[in-house]
Amino acid sequence: MRIEPLIKSRPTYAPVAVQPRAQLHLFIASDDGLPALEALIAQVSESQQEVLVFTQGATVVDTDKGIYPMAQLAETVGSALMDAPISSAVYIAGNEAFLWDIRNLARSQGFADEQIQMCEPVNNTRRLFCTHCYAITEDVTHSPHTCSGCGRWLLVRDHYSKLHAAYVGVQINAENPSELPETEELV
Amino acid sequence: MSIDKIRVQVTGIEQVAPLIREFQLKAVDAELMPFSPGSHVVVEMPDTPRPHRNAYSLLSDPRDGGCYRIAVRLQEHSRGGSRYMHEQVKVGDELWITPPANLFSPLWQASKHILIAGGVGITPFMSYLPELEREGAHYELHYLYRGKQTGAYREQLQQSLGERCFLYDADAGARCDLRELLSDQPRGSHAYICGPQSLIAGVQEVAAELGWPASYIHFEAFAAPQPGNPFEVELSRSGRTLKVAADTSLLEALEEADVPVTSLCRGGVCGQCLTPVVSGDIEHRDEFLTAAEREKGNCMMPCVSRAAGKRLVLDL
Repeated sequence: MRIEPLIKSRPTYAPVAVQPRAQLHLFIASDDGLPALEALIAQVSESQQEVLVFTQGATVVDTDKGIYPMAQLAETVGSALMDAPISSAVYIAGNEAFLWDIRNLARSQGFADEQIQMCEPVNNTRRLFCTHCYAITEDVTHSPHTCSGCGRWLLVRDHYSKLHAAYVGVQINAENPSELPETEELV
Repeated sequence: MSIDKIRVQVTGIEQVAPLIREFQLKAVDAELMPFSPGSHVVVEMPDTPRPHRNAYSLLSDPRDGGCYRIAVRLQEHSRGGSRYMHEQVKVGDELWITPPANLFSPLWQASKHILIAGGVGITPFMSYLPELEREGAHYELHYLYRGKQTGAYREQLQQSLGERCFLYDADAGARCDLRELLSDQPRGSHAYICGPQSLIAGVQEVAAELGWPASYIHFEAFAAPQPGNPFEVELSRSGRTLKVAADTSLLEALEEADVPVTSLCRGGVCGQCLTPVVSGDIEHRDEFLTAAEREKGNCMMPCVSRAAGKRLVLDL
């Protein structure tokens, strides 16, 4: 069994560049995504930038330096976006689910797609959306994978849902689910 | 035209500005349908030697199917359409119109709607306003006009919109500072412009300088094909050759010769009349084709675009 090699919904990531006319530049990264933004941050004057970094624990939380716990992501980013003027640019780096969560937050706050730039995801981990029970399973690296909600073995498709910031997972071998194919690493 | 036309009767005509006349239209055979804000109809005028087909925004309340209202500005360099409406059309006359189509509807997810009208460009916003009111939307209207020529409906707009209505009469020396207008607008604002190309370009330029997202700027230009040099067009499938006069568009020449071409906006924006070109250089004047598509030179929008040389061969 092979995963479909090319599905149109799978996001592609263009090189990220500073938007010269923006009046506020918001850089938002997970701690492992931050290096991808550093060269861009250096190009923007400090008075026009805001840098927010989110950590799962590897880095020390220090809100004075703009380093927040991942658990406060929605709240922290939400209030930063809320204060941003119409001519703002958002730059995001992290894993793919992180990128699209922030993008969706920004869209809900009135940002246009061309104001939001995402770096290439820092790793191949996928958020998985179960089409049967709608549960979300984070950090999936192999297919098939068990659903965290209903326990079904799911085929991890390349089909991406921007709304859920997740890949779609469907019951593998629906006719005979006990027959499990070999596990494949996701790329 | 490939859509069923509607027969309407002119039930009222009103001079609403020195150069603008409003026409009230009622259906002869059936009910008119409600429409979406920003819609237009194409009015067919049985003039000689050739008919005119001009697109006009509906300015009545979108939910009112009882009567459509349009407003026509008399153009100094009229190709005949606006002059016909002003000088020939009388109350009681019958005309044919297309059903409403919309290439300029409001984006309801906008946090604020900024309407910018130039002269007779107020018309599509006349249908926006009742719907924005019903939705409780956040909006403001900026209306630029020359009081000696245009400025229709300004008293009623000022009265009903109050502080949300900004009037700029150039003939009274009032200027609109676009930079001030577009600065400090809330995030998620969408701007809509209807007016001459110079106004649209002006707003786009200032908005880009201010860092506005380009996709939040929407516009509708006055869509009239401009004259050019006469040329010949050969239809490769039928072998026919037609002449296109200086003040006739290619689409009109094709229609006159009964060559069926689907069309909608007749102003180079909707893409309906896209026609394959076999050979000949094209002078592209539309807003629809991308630079790459123009480069290929194998298709054109005959409603506004013409031959760059003396001859074109179309795959028709």
